[in-house]
Amino acid sequence: MKALSIGLVNLRRAFRQRSNVFFVFVFPMLLILVLGVTFGGAATPRVGVVSAGSGPLGTALVRQLEGLPHLKVVAVGGPAALVTDVARGNLGAGLVIPRGYSEAIRGGRAVALRYVQRPDPSSRQLGQAIQGVVAAQAAVLGAARFAVAQHAAPGFQAGLAAARRAEALVPAVTVRPASAGTVPFAQRVGEFDEGAWTELVLFLFLTAMTGAVGQIEVRRLGLSRRMLATPTPPSAVIAGEALGRFLVAIIQAAVIITGSALLFGVGWGSPPGVAAVVIVFSLVAAGAGILVGTLFRNEQQAIGVCLLLGLGLGALGGCMVPLELFSPAMRAVAHVTPQAWANDAFARLVGDGATIAGIAPQLAVLAGYAAAVLALASWRLRRVLTA
Amino acid sequence: MAPGPVLSCEGLRRRFGGIVAVDGVGFVIQAGETYGLLGPNGAGKTTTISMIAGLLQPDAGRIVVSGEPVSTRAVAVRRLIGYVPQDLAIYPDLSARENLVFFGRLYGMPAARARERASEVLELTGLADRAGDLVKTYSGGMKRRLNIGLGLLHRPRLLILDEPTVGVDPQSRNAILESVESLAGEGIAVLYTTHYMEEAERLCDRVGIIDHGALIAEGTRDELVSMVGGRDRVRLLAPGDLGAWAAALAGREWVHEASVTGQGVDLMVTGARGHLAEILAAAAQAGVTVRSVEVTEPDLEAVFLHLTGRALRD
Repeated sequence: MKALSIGLVNLRRAFRQRSNVFFVFVFPMLLILVLGVTFGGAATPRVGVVSAGSGPLGTALVRQLEGLPHLKVVAVGGPAALVTDVARGNLGAGLVIPRGYSEAIRGGRAVALRYVQRPDPSSRQLGQAIQGVVAAQAAVLGAARFAVAQHAAPGFQAGLAAARRAEALVPAVTVRPASAGTVPFAQRVGEFDEGAWTELVLFLFLTAMTGAVGQIEVRRLGLSRRMLATPTPPSAVIAGEALGRFLVAIIQAAVIITGSALLFGVGWGSPPGVAAVVIVFSLVAAGAGILVGTLFRNEQQAIGVCLLLGLGLGALGGCMVPLELFSPAMRAVAHVTPQAWANDAFARLVGDGATIAGIAPQLAVLAGYAAAVLALASWRLRRVLTA
Repeated sequence: MAPGPVLSCEGLRRRFGGIVAVDGVGFVIQAGETYGLLGPNGAGKTTTISMIAGLLQPDAGRIVVSGEPVSTRAVAVRRLIGYVPQDLAIYPDLSARENLVFFGRLYGMPAARARERASEVLELTGLADRAGDLVKTYSGGMKRRLNIGLGLLHRPRLLILDEPTVGVDPQSRNAILESVESLAGEGIAVLYTTHYMEEAERLCDRVGIIDHGALIAEGTRDELVSMVGGRDRVRLLAPGDLGAWAAALAGREWVHEASVTGQGVDLMVTGARGHLAEILAAAAQAGVTVRSVEVTEPDLEAVFLHLTGRALRD
């Protein structure tokens, strides 16, 4: 109970300062928003389509484009606006279906569709997907005209109906994709997802590290000594300090996870898995914060080192640049940090839809870190308190 | 309450590296008694009380509070001890009430009892009207009062006050001294360390003088003063021929020295206050008109000077 009292006092002090509330809750959410908007938009490319006056066949082509996975069709008023939006990057690419498209096809005239692309690989890939849809419609239209030419249908409309019926009956040639190797980025990751989990990992650790400053202040003011002058054993004081840091981390995680899910639609994956990662990583962070707090005598010395370690280990552990972009050697080095293991676990939960069993290796490593860091921190704190 | 002294310590010794901070200190304090540990900075006062509070393990010696031995491992005995450190060991970003309730919980009080005692101590320390304000908004004197209140929270049998008036304005200092005086009336044994001689003389039933880690003298104020001979200086200002008057006074057995100065007569006497009337009567008989009398009695400062050859604040 005494450890709980000490932990709750630490918790109360941590959130009593408004600046702390900003840096613990608001700032991480702002970064998630900025990262998602800046780097997460490419997850669902937007294709603009100009189809006004294109007739039923134009509408049918738009419907087919809308059926394509991994892209979003956006209606655009005219070709000029389409070119502008593509040029500005608001759209990944654009397609102009000209006025009178249906009439021209029915009249047997050749029609050219205009594809507007950006000079980048992503835009070219979109073009291939769109060309595939157009080719599929062209095949049906060609079959309809063939039926008319062969007098198998009285007119184009009847030929088109026959071609569509035949399309369903003719055995299709399909390409079945098979994967080899691994993809660098998980395919289910949403616009804000990766930014959310990396910022969570970064700020959980950073907050716990800066908590070392409060711990030093408590010692400097003689409060630790006063606590030990009460019938409170050093073990309860140490447990209370750790509990305080842990509670701050858990509340911070709960707010960031809930807030990012509600505001940005971040899908965190299996709740038991997420809870397990948050708990073991918070224990690591709490232990690290206490350990650093035992190494310095004043707050000024500690704050610089806390920020350096929090940001440095975060960067090395993949919180600023995704681990997937690291070289294999650097990725191995990165896994010296607990952040890398936590990021791996979230990537599996969010990106691959893994359950808690699927992240057992990451949890085991993080639990090992937690046990080691907390043991070392407790030993150091006991020495500092009873010296 | 257990019979015998509230605090008994003997042969306390503590070394830090090659420096002996406390060397063979021992004394007892009875219930309702205020014991002053008087000595200059660095004399070993704080080390001694750290050992008595169970915060520092002595290299040698024994400490017993109300029959229970004290050590850094003996946690339960600390419920009998109230410790008021020299530093303001208070959470500045909590209110006075929150500080009190928190430490009440650490003393093992149930939540309701801790809140109740917090209210009582807030009244006692005169902080009730600011109980909900953050401590960092308090004046230095208010913080000092809260610092002492935290030591009284659990009704200890022994209250240790480590230089509680350091850096305090005269008004707050007086309030603190009055509150300490009232504690003895409640039966609390008080161990009060200070390097202010005036505080020791005002508050303490007995005083131990500590220097270089050793207790060099102990006793009541009068007992200690008697160590320097107990002689008072009486300075009398008077005009005219003073030789006959001085000679008449020199013949008294309680006058140890009588000398004529440029403006009057200086006497070294035993029990000056009791003999003032006789001194003035002798002046009248000798036809001397006394304009002023100044009596200087020996004090603990003089005792310290006598024992160590140094002033208390050197």
